Amino acid sequence: MIDAFGLYRPRRTPLHATPAWLKVLGLTCGAVALLLTHGPVAATTGLVSAIALLVSTLPPLRPTLRGLFPVVVMAVLMGGYQWFRGDRAGAAEFAADFLAISCLALALTTSTPLDEAMGLVAWAARPFRRVVPPEAVGLVFALAARAIPQITMILQDSADAARARGLGRSIRATVVPATVRTFGWALDVGDAITARGLAESAPASSNA
Amino acid sequence: MIDFREASVVAPSSDVRILESTTLSLDQRRVAIIGANGSGKSTLARLINGLILPTEGSVIVNGRDTRTDTAAVRRDVGFLFTDPSAQLIMPTAIEDVALSLRRTIKGKEKRTTAALDRLEEIGLASHSHVSVHALSGGQRQLLALAGVLAVEPSILVADEPTTLLDLRWRAHVDALIDALPIQVIEITHDLDAAARAERVIVVDQATVAFDGIPRTAIAFYRDLLTHPPPGPHRD
Repeated sequence: MIDAFGLYRPRRTPLHATPAWLKVLGLTCGAVALLLTHGPVAATTGLVSAIALLVSTLPPLRPTLRGLFPVVVMAVLMGGYQWFRGDRAGAAEFAADFLAISCLALALTTSTPLDEAMGLVAWAARPFRRVVPPEAVGLVFALAARAIPQITMILQDSADAARARGLGRSIRATVVPATVRTFGWALDVGDAITARGLAESAPASSNA
Repeated sequence: MIDFREASVVAPSSDVRILESTTLSLDQRRVAIIGANGSGKSTLARLINGLILPTEGSVIVNGRDTRTDTAAVRRDVGFLFTDPSAQLIMPTAIEDVALSLRRTIKGKEKRTTAALDRLEEIGLASHSHVSVHALSGGQRQLLALAGVLAVEPSILVADEPTTLLDLRWRAHVDALIDALPIQVIEITHDLDAAARAERVIVVDQATVAFDGIPRTAIAFYRDLLTHPPPGPHRD
């Protein structure tokens, strides 16, 4: 599973020097342009440009390839399905666009520290500050990014434990303990956030 | 200075007392709390920084009531958990320490420099941009400690901080905690660590069963543990 924000490394590249809001705007415009333009030339140009942009951020090689692997698998599967249904040109274009958008997103995350992304999310949430504190929205964003690799690890551990008990074919033997552990982890994270004073407005429990 | 004034905790759904009425004053620099699993020692620790509020009585930390001054108490009391994976939020070491500094240091550059200084102090500067998932268990616990100490608390509560570590990391984390110039309340199963404290509190069945110097407290605890654990058993 992709741990995109773990791919950030401090570098001196043009994208690292670009403000996060401008990169998000660029990503959005790029994605819309890719979806609106059709044909093999546009798709190829888009994919090559996106890969070049990603490479320009000098990302860490192995973690980036590891992060891209499930994206490639998904692009092949979904493109393959369209190919199977007879739309060969559409399949290639879809796979290229999907990979291009993923590369653009990775270029954003490899050049933007989560701290800065949190700040951007908190800034974007300012119009809703009467409903929810913007800093809290930024923290939720960070926690969501943090939860993905953690839940993946919990699922893998639970699947290993199920196999060790000879229950490798039972989905329940994996999902139930993984769910319980995920809830436990979420409660621990809640305690840790409270203990670190990152959620000052959150009330303490009056019990264990 | 930590004052428990007849503080007790009752579980919400079951009326079970998870900590009986406790009155204690903790002013020693090093206090160890030992006890069997489920005895109530973690509840005692969590009362100190307001993670749990007493059902009856009060807990006063440096003159502040944890019930009415919770945020100020939490700023003053750092809490180190057993499992650092729940404590680390950001993807890299430097970002996680910087997160702790968001409230106290404005400006990303200053915050990053300060976070790097904290990592340097704890010996993790060379891992500042490494993903927290790539760190070893010991390094993660060090990072969690750096995040807690970054806000310069006057008290550190450490809830079994070395339980998940191998001997080498345990010694390293112990040495770092021992060298801290602040009050440390450590919940531990490690009797060697308890022996280094100035005062040891033994918690058993939701009450303080013994409170004294390490040698006698540990002897009391060893004797206590010779009895079989509660629960179903066969003859």
